[in-house]
Amino acid sequence: MEKIDVRAVFSKSGRAVFISHLDLQRTMQRALKRSGLPVWYSQGFNPHIYLNFPLALSLGISSRTEFMDFSVIEEIDFEKARERLDSVMPDGISVTELAKPVHKNQDIASAEYEMKFYGAAGEIFKALERMMSMETIEAEKHSKSKGIVTVDIRPHIEILNTEVCGDHLALTVRLPAGGALNINANVFADAFSRVSGIDFENVCIERTKILCKSGEKFI
Amino acid sequence: MLKEQIENILLKVRNPSRYIGGELNSVVKDKNKVDVRFAFCFPDSYDVGMSHLGMKILYSLKNKRENFWCERVFAPWEDMEALMRENNIPLYALESLDPIREFDFIGFTVQYELCYTNILNMLDLAGLPVKAKDRTEDMPVVVAGGPCVCNPEPLVDFIDLFILGEGEEVNLELMDLYAGMKKRGCSKREFLAEAAKIEGIYVPSFYDVSYNNDGTVAAVLPNHPNATAKIRKRIIKDLDSIYYPESFVVPYCEIVHDRAVVEVLRGCIRGCRFCQAGFIYRPLREKSSETICSQTRSLCESTGYEEVSLSSLSTSDLSSIDETLIKLSEYTDGEKINLSLPSMRIDRFSNELMERLKAIRKSGLTFAPEAGTQRLRDVINKNITEDEIMRACRIAFEGGYTSVKLYFMMGLPTETDEDIIGIAELAEKIVDLYYQNPNRPKGRHVSISVSCATFVPKPFTPFEFEPQASAEEIDRRQKLLLGSIRSKKRINVSWHNYKVSILEAVLAKGDRRLGEVIYEAWKSGCKFDSWSEFYRYELWVKAFEKAGLDMDFYAYRKRSYDEVMPWQHLDYYISREFLIREHKKALNAETTPNCREKCSGCGISGVMGGACFGKD
Repeated sequence: MEKIDVRAVFSKSGRAVFISHLDLQRTMQRALKRSGLPVWYSQGFNPHIYLNFPLALSLGISSRTEFMDFSVIEEIDFEKARERLDSVMPDGISVTELAKPVHKNQDIASAEYEMKFYGAAGEIFKALERMMSMETIEAEKHSKSKGIVTVDIRPHIEILNTEVCGDHLALTVRLPAGGALNINANVFADAFSRVSGIDFENVCIERTKILCKSGEKFI
Repeated sequence: MLKEQIENILLKVRNPSRYIGGELNSVVKDKNKVDVRFAFCFPDSYDVGMSHLGMKILYSLKNKRENFWCERVFAPWEDMEALMRENNIPLYALESLDPIREFDFIGFTVQYELCYTNILNMLDLAGLPVKAKDRTEDMPVVVAGGPCVCNPEPLVDFIDLFILGEGEEVNLELMDLYAGMKKRGCSKREFLAEAAKIEGIYVPSFYDVSYNNDGTVAAVLPNHPNATAKIRKRIIKDLDSIYYPESFVVPYCEIVHDRAVVEVLRGCIRGCRFCQAGFIYRPLREKSSETICSQTRSLCESTGYEEVSLSSLSTSDLSSIDETLIKLSEYTDGEKINLSLPSMRIDRFSNELMERLKAIRKSGLTFAPEAGTQRLRDVINKNITEDEIMRACRIAFEGGYTSVKLYFMMGLPTETDEDIIGIAELAEKIVDLYYQNPNRPKGRHVSISVSCATFVPKPFTPFEFEPQASAEEIDRRQKLLLGSIRSKKRINVSWHNYKVSILEAVLAKGDRRLGEVIYEAWKSGCKFDSWSEFYRYELWVKAFEKAGLDMDFYAYRKRSYDEVMPWQHLDYYISREFLIREHKKALNAETTPNCREKCSGCGISGVMGGACFGKD
């Protein structure tokens, strides 16, 4: 049977940010089933729709560019298929592109986030400057094998932009992502809150880019 | 808007997607463009409630009407409830995220007795007084339906009106009535008075209950001109043409029954004497195989579910079952959808059926002999022989199964030690049967799990006159059963917590006075009583003491044939004469043929405009 790999790019926002990664897999399988696209099923006693997510997204974070790989058993028109898939997605998930996969999961090196820290924006900005002037920033990180571990995240934080807005500080930050070293945006936000001693009124995080080692956008 | 407040706490709770709505196929309308808003409450967690078929049916049915908006509400889990109370977030509906205290109706579906405290807790979380008499004109009408409503007396303090029987027609009639009266500016009391005229609607405040000196009910009498002496349950006559949802709300998180469900029949022909559902859902009505197939197809297409289950009290009793399965599997096999068939009787178990079940990765098979000896199976009218049980197990073992689960009840009327030992002997015979099979998987042993529930006598069954077995007696029989098992490595025995069963018995057969007990229990912290991690028997005991009532009176008392039952004014078409007849036969271990073979004269015949099965 012919098997053609397809990479879907989608956004996740609104109420959909509360869908966990595990639940997202089930949600996507059902969406693909509803779409009626000629999807490829894993072979074996209990066939199911094959899915691969190159990079998981944490609960509570929205994203402009998420990726999901599946396969089809015949050539499809990407734009028509995208429309069809998008039309069966639940509220908050929207399929923006279908493409032939170029990169591999292991190529993913970093991700960019736009974060909003709500409260007294000026003070938050100063606290950020203070934190970034420190030599080390200890942060707690969940590790699959070792449980909670403390790591120094300072060398891995790249602040790309900051902007003091009325009731919040807007921040663009790049953090390592992928198999080799992954620093979750929540880990950064928690560390910021702990180091600064500020209990933010609210924190909004959106993933905006997933990048390869080469610096080019993952696709 | 509560949305922001809710979102702020969601990341602190387990499975937050349960609390924010937005699931596929959920229905969002403009609240300014509807006449009636209905908050459909399931008094248990999202995972349990979202699995419930009745709610799915009524949700879609009401929302199909442009001027009605029905939304879903579940009991928040402990962590969420604490944060809601801390942040002053009232109980809200999942579609609009609006507080349900602003709705026209709050409706509960009452599926089991141990969710009663959750009803109170949800009303309280909504910011409403839990007692009906304390709720004012501007507050929603609180209604309840579902199987437990066949004896709703313990709940009358909290509910304005009950809906008896099947809900498809009566819910719409009630909402239409309300819409009209709301426009005319009528009061709640006026609405209840008009509602009481609708068949199937029971307004408890329109009835007075008097008691005898011995504590039994003397009479239940209407105190309002619109209240009839008897309130009849509603029945849908034609199941084939009644509304059925084309789509289900598809949850994000995993729920108990995470699949498409097609109801294939209602009612049951079997008349097992312990089974309340077998009596209160009479008569048997079936869907045609064409309807079942088209409903399956549309549900699977609209949800993307990879499993569909054919649901009923006894799916193997569908007359067109063979034809339906052949037609259905053409579609499901092609779409790689699993077809699951719960509620199949042992005597219908076949090679073909087993192959179908194996395809859905079930680790073991479950059969329900219910009792250990033929005599006792005859008492309960189970109408299954040991040969049939052994035959089903043989097919399973020859098909490669190595584990079988057996359901039994303990404390059944007339039960003796011989019947308890019979459970052990039956399990031993099944173990032996496994090792007699020369083709059994190499190196694999058999595993038989025996699960014993404590029998709870229920209203509208021939056993409603029977007492429940005492805690000491159940304890003794459990020990006897354990001691009678020789193959301890192969047979694993488990049972339900007796302290749960006794409360179930008390609430099932209780009267109005229990409202005070439920209130006290809830006040002292009882909720989610059906979850072992929450159940606090000692608080219930205290609540009974405080109310001056005795659990034993409700659970352990044998009731005479002429006693006025607390639910006697509710008419489920099952006559007292029939129940007495069946009870006497049970005591003599005489069986009653199923409804297809011979009409047993229960009282339902004729309701469909003729005999249930075109004879007798």
